[in-house]
Amino acid sequence: MRTMSIRRIWLLVWKEFTQLLRDRSMIPLIFIMPVVQLVLFGYVIGTDVKDLRTAFLDHDGTTASQQVIDGFASSGYFVSVARPTDDAGVRRALDGNVAQVAVIIPSGFGDMVSRGQATQLSVIVDGSDAKTASVAQGYAGSIVADLSGKLYPRPGVKPGAAAPVGLDARVRVLFNPTMRAVNTMVPALLAFILMMSTQNLISQSIVKERERGTLEQLFVTPIGRAEYLIGKLLPYVAVAITQILIVFTVGTLWFKVPFAGSVAVLGVGLGLFMITALGQGMLISLMSRTRYQAQQANVFLMVPSMMLSGFVFPLSSMPAVLIPLTYLIPLRYVLVIVRSNFVKGSGFMDLWPQFLAMIIFSVAIFGLGLTRFQKRLSD
Amino acid sequence: MRRILAIARKEFLHIIRDKRTLIAVLAMPLLQLFLFAYAVSFDVKDIPTAVLDQDQSALSRQYVSALQQSNYFKITQNLTAMNQVDAVFERSEDTAVVILPPGFGDTIVSGRPGPVQVLIDGSEPNSAQLGQAYATGLSRIYGIRVAVTQAETRGASTPAGGLSALVRVWYNPEGSSSAYLVPGLIVLLLTITTVQQTANTLVREKEQGTYEQLVVSPIRRIELMVGKVMPWAAIAALQVIVISGIGLLVFGIPFRGSVGLFAVSSVLFVICALGLGLVVSARASSIETANQMAMMISFLPAFMLSGFVFPLSSIPPVLQFVSYLFPGRYFMVITRTIFLKGGGLDVLWPEIAGLAIYAVVMLVLSSLLYRERA
Repeated sequence: MRTMSIRRIWLLVWKEFTQLLRDRSMIPLIFIMPVVQLVLFGYVIGTDVKDLRTAFLDHDGTTASQQVIDGFASSGYFVSVARPTDDAGVRRALDGNVAQVAVIIPSGFGDMVSRGQATQLSVIVDGSDAKTASVAQGYAGSIVADLSGKLYPRPGVKPGAAAPVGLDARVRVLFNPTMRAVNTMVPALLAFILMMSTQNLISQSIVKERERGTLEQLFVTPIGRAEYLIGKLLPYVAVAITQILIVFTVGTLWFKVPFAGSVAVLGVGLGLFMITALGQGMLISLMSRTRYQAQQANVFLMVPSMMLSGFVFPLSSMPAVLIPLTYLIPLRYVLVIVRSNFVKGSGFMDLWPQFLAMIIFSVAIFGLGLTRFQKRLSD
Repeated sequence: MRRILAIARKEFLHIIRDKRTLIAVLAMPLLQLFLFAYAVSFDVKDIPTAVLDQDQSALSRQYVSALQQSNYFKITQNLTAMNQVDAVFERSEDTAVVILPPGFGDTIVSGRPGPVQVLIDGSEPNSAQLGQAYATGLSRIYGIRVAVTQAETRGASTPAGGLSALVRVWYNPEGSSSAYLVPGLIVLLLTITTVQQTANTLVREKEQGTYEQLVVSPIRRIELMVGKVMPWAAIAALQVIVISGIGLLVFGIPFRGSVGLFAVSSVLFVICALGLGLVVSARASSIETANQMAMMISFLPAFMLSGFVFPLSSIPPVLQFVSYLFPGRYFMVITRTIFLKGGGLDVLWPEIAGLAIYAVVMLVLSSLLYRERA
């Protein structure tokens, strides 16, 4: 058994870095990719749905109906874009993608309200855009409930007061009181970008050596297999850490995401995840003969990770059949770790089940990658 | 023409020989189709909720069961003490905690509003926002019911009035997620395969050194370009047909518009995507960069900036502008309108015109780049 030589490892790292830097468009990409993703995910997913284009059809034309329209328009969630005069006009507005929501106030609305009788207005939402539809329904519900309190004043209850009757519900949102989506998107992106780039770059780099036959050349030199692996992985670890630092810095400084957690918890969580991602990269490289195939495999793995981890779509609304599958996705666990730590400051004690899962995943996947890789090399 | 066909044949053979790529190109769209269609849902329901009932009266139990029955909250555990609440959130066990303080029932019986505290974990804003709306709404409904019951038992007359909303969802009344996802997925999957594959073609020839051989052959650059993308255009057409077919037959989504218009706009869109791929291929210095760039200009914009699942109405103006620079945004409106709304050219002309202009620009740009590079 030869002893490992730091010098040989260092030379390999140097070679790998030089190769990476030779590809002149690669360097900007390594730095630009995280920022582009951060901006897209931060702004597109992070922006609350507001300003829904709304058509108001007022059959009534009284102060009460005007109050309803004002109630919707002043909420900030609905913007009046059309005032059709009949039902056909409403259909045209929705068919033609002019409006996303229509509010129809029936005739006689004002009379019913002044007599204190129950009334109903119609809200139509465009179901071809599901997110908008579901958000619009939620907003419309609370605006109508508010309006109900204003239009039907009850003795002893101030109009527009938070609790009209019976119950005094105090809803408090903890940890992220303004409910900014960016606050949870940025921590999640730390893990997601780490996975994307580590897995991608390492698999491409190993496959490239095989494509070009330079792997054999390396092995007739005194370099050992362990030295080769360490030298190969280290540069990508460095790249991953750089990208994480970029996301962290831009996230906390530009997007003003508060960091309530501890660097230690975050570091250990992401470290375990990086080992998993390196293992996945090695496994991909073993399954692919060309870089092109490796790329396909990366995209292939990315989609389920995105969909089934709770990264953008909440796990609680997923059908029960798919839930068991989500437990197989390492990203699922690390997302709980980074989000809870970032937003709530949860520590090792609170997150031990997730950390345990991450340890199992990293040992299993990295171990599998390593042994398969060793076997392939000695064949 | 013969030369173009020869190149196309060569490219086709490359694809067919490469079994793994073939599987990826054919199986991946299907996998994604099923995954998306089943996994994505924006109805927030069954929010995991813990209840701390410190009152243990008939009224508090009535409230908890109303919560349970609403479908919006799923009660996973009953807490017994206040100090357990923190742990629930820190361990991310539940998203909401409902606290009914002691004296809840008595307060209501005495005619005053019964205090309820709802704590929501804001670290998952999607659920948090809707959970907040539901909790408030539910409390109101329940509150009104209690008030009416009380008034009735006291024999007093109550104002029975109240405003309610009848919400109807057009175009997709059952709220089936596949109905809006399948048309959107056509856009996403077409973008991923076509841009990514064409981005690879030319760079690969260059890296393998076969590009020089092609250049010294009598083939003209434009012929090379057309021949190279032809197989991918055919595969893209196949994908459109397969995805739409599965959408219509397996998921039972409607197709209300005109097939002809859909075909024309699909062709325009595929041209745009192929053009984007060719531009990447001409510019990229290696396969790795081609892959990364393709990722950046195909997958990300098609997923994030097309309106696929994330509404674009409130994103910042700069990103609004950027979203118009990618063909996905136009095609997304087209597929949804044709499939679900049955809209024709009278409604869709701006988007179709946008795609047509885009296609022309892409073709000119990529042929210019090819000439310059060769």
